[in-house]
Amino acid sequence: MTVAPLAIALEDVEKRYPNGTLANSGVSFTVAAGEIHALVGENGAGKSTVMKMLYGLERPTAGALRIHGLLADFRHPGDAIAAGVGLVAQHLNLVPSLTVAENVVLGHEPRKPGGRLDRVAAAARVRELVGQSGLAVDPAATVASLPVGVRQRVEILKVLHRGARIILLDEPTAVLTPPETATLFATLRHLAAAGHTVLVITHKLDEVKALAGGVTVLCQGRVTGNARMADVNEGTLARLMVGRDLPPPPPRRPAGARLAPRVIARDLGYVDGDGAIRLRDVGFEVAPGEILGIAGVEGNGQDVLARLLSGAAVPTTGDARLDGRVFTGLSPRAARSLGVAVVTEDRLHDGAAPTLSIVDNLLATRYAQPPLSRRGLIDRGTARRWAEAVIAGFDVRATGPHQPIGALSGGNMQKLILAREIADAPAFLVASQPTRGVDIAAAAALHTRLVALRDQGAAILLISADLDELLVLSDRIAVLYRGRIVARFEAGAVDARTLGLHMTGLGPEPKGGDHD
Amino acid sequence: MTEGARIALAVGAALALGFLVMACVTDQPWAAFRALVTGPLPSMERAADGRLVMHRLVRFGAWLQDATTLTLVGLAIAIPFRARQFSLGADGQLFMGALAAAALSLGLGDVPAAIALPLAFLAAAMAGAAWGLAAGLLKTRFEANEIVTTLMLNVVAVQVYRLIVGRVLNDPTAGFITTPPLPGAATLGPLIARTNVTAMVLVAPAAVAAVVFLLRRTTLGYEIDLAGANPWFAARAGVPVARATVLAFALGGAFAGLAGFHVSNALLKRLPVDLTPGMGLEGIVVALLARGRVAALPLAALGYAYLRVGAQAMERATDVPREVVLVIQALIILFVVSDRLAPLALGSLRRVWMRIGRTA
Repeated sequence: MTVAPLAIALEDVEKRYPNGTLANSGVSFTVAAGEIHALVGENGAGKSTVMKMLYGLERPTAGALRIHGLLADFRHPGDAIAAGVGLVAQHLNLVPSLTVAENVVLGHEPRKPGGRLDRVAAAARVRELVGQSGLAVDPAATVASLPVGVRQRVEILKVLHRGARIILLDEPTAVLTPPETATLFATLRHLAAAGHTVLVITHKLDEVKALAGGVTVLCQGRVTGNARMADVNEGTLARLMVGRDLPPPPPRRPAGARLAPRVIARDLGYVDGDGAIRLRDVGFEVAPGEILGIAGVEGNGQDVLARLLSGAAVPTTGDARLDGRVFTGLSPRAARSLGVAVVTEDRLHDGAAPTLSIVDNLLATRYAQPPLSRRGLIDRGTARRWAEAVIAGFDVRATGPHQPIGALSGGNMQKLILAREIADAPAFLVASQPTRGVDIAAAAALHTRLVALRDQGAAILLISADLDELLVLSDRIAVLYRGRIVARFEAGAVDARTLGLHMTGLGPEPKGGDHD
Repeated sequence: MTEGARIALAVGAALALGFLVMACVTDQPWAAFRALVTGPLPSMERAADGRLVMHRLVRFGAWLQDATTLTLVGLAIAIPFRARQFSLGADGQLFMGALAAAALSLGLGDVPAAIALPLAFLAAAMAGAAWGLAAGLLKTRFEANEIVTTLMLNVVAVQVYRLIVGRVLNDPTAGFITTPPLPGAATLGPLIARTNVTAMVLVAPAAVAAVVFLLRRTTLGYEIDLAGANPWFAARAGVPVARATVLAFALGGAFAGLAGFHVSNALLKRLPVDLTPGMGLEGIVVALLARGRVAALPLAALGYAYLRVGAQAMERATDVPREVVLVIQALIILFVVSDRLAPLALGSLRRVWMRIGRTA
């Protein structure tokens, strides 16, 4: 009897952190050698903990890990590397000022007699790896000059240089554009064909479908599903990942006469403290009941745009008006009082106070007004009842209104944040990456809410790196590249590929003077 | 494991270790240990005529007096800490509060207590608040690190105090540099005979209750909490973060100022030029022991004051040197603030136990 040898096997693995948090419990799954296996689940489901245990960053508190059949008791990443396991972390760890070759060999350098780095041997080694793996990278290029997708290839080369036969990738596509994602997938397939084993964390259904041979679903630290891709279709896979059928995508806005714009931004520009131009000549209009999508690779000015529009930063040039009144350049509180609401890009940094309760997080934008407070006294009873209503109405999984919001999964936290921001029926909502790191069921629920807000007549600016989301929700899409709007489209008349080209600056030059 | 059990375990372990230290330096470790553990408690005796007589009330009083001051300076640390500001300025605020209360009491001269006491009380609170406000404004307006500014403001406050007590309010008839005794109407009378336990012993817990209410139920308290928990989020949500931070400093300062009132108008009833700085820094220990929970401050203050007074008793009753007393105090604090010490110790105990069980 021949059975494909197992590259990775987890047997009843449990991880309990010293503070009592149970991150994984009874986790068992196997990955055959040469397989691409997807590990899916919401934030906080324990996927990253599995990765950390396989890479020696954490040790399981019970159960066993086997790598190529051998019991693995990794005490630190050095043990894992010695056993042929490599990790490509979500946040890349490269030295920007060094070359590709120097980065790849860093820590395991070929040396000349006397201990100095042998650059010629390093470059040769990297060329050899490039040849074997099909990862196109110039060994002599400086990392700082490379786009994110190429930097990720450097990380993979680094892992291969250390002799990894098993490659772990933690949400590798989160920072990539569609063309870069396609290239990454081709690379991973090539590596798998050459006998490498790939374990990849993702929460995108289509990525699992396109890439993986097998999938393991984690939910609250336990394995809730396990399948071979050959045995499942898209519907069963979605059910496996979500636990139930997905709602249909929200209906498009009925096409009608475009109303007079509610939000008008003109010539918005921002120069930061270092004198770098972060945003320039950004102008747009959003009509009531309209969603304007802003596409772009992260770091091309989206964060600045959102900060300007929410009053958190003062524009260097230009302004924006809501129903005729300027709301930029004031303060967050002034912008809010004029009807602006904000879902911030990084919910843990400036979208919530993770250590405070659900109630206290919901209160943040409304605590100063009745019925939640009167004459400086907060009505805790009303606040609690409101929180309970939100938890029920938005289907938030929480133990109660006094649970710290940081203990919730990303999706549940984001539902609460959106609930808070739309509670006062804002006239203009700036939603930045509203479903990032959120499981697909929660993302669908959030989309439904955004559409409902749109249908009530609000103007919505949807800033997202997720092109599928933009294409489904937006009425029009503008592409932000290096702080400027380089292209504008009617949402029905553009596809992800075209957007991707414009996002990376490869699209045709923008038509002059187009202010839509 | 509950917090109470954890603290009990930590204190028990520290006392055990302290006993070992004592055994090394004295021939009578048991007597020393007894003095440390029972020192602050009064002893009761049945007199010849059958009545119960309390002894050692002075020490018992010292315990409550200490706890009162410590609770108030604890508030001065704990309130800014809710806004995630590490204020070390309780000392300066206390000195300014004491100075303001004493100066006003002396300046008012012969007025009824109903006028003198409330005014001195308010003056102390306002002086402390002003000193806190300064640190808050330096932080929010000029981004001056509050640890540095509060420490420097302490230096300024202590020297201003010495200057004014020594040059302006000096009582030339006294044998040392001090203010004249404060008028009787401006001082608080004892609630327990032969001690300086006054109404302030009730004011301190009342202040704590008021602050708990403020933080839990008022919009200002909510703003302070939110600014502390996540200032970036608070700013994006429209909370006036700078105002909340400044007010947290000022509010804390007001209570340190009241601790100054306690020192001048209840304990000493006159202000010597060499009033020892450092009580404000003890407030940091109390706030740490209470782990940022305002409601736990009186308990932490009582516990810490008990230790201080017990240590003084031990120092007086035995030949244990003061240095060792301080070491034991520090040990207890180290053990209590080491969050994971007790769980870890219990865990390894359990493992050893299981290993023994397996080999047996």
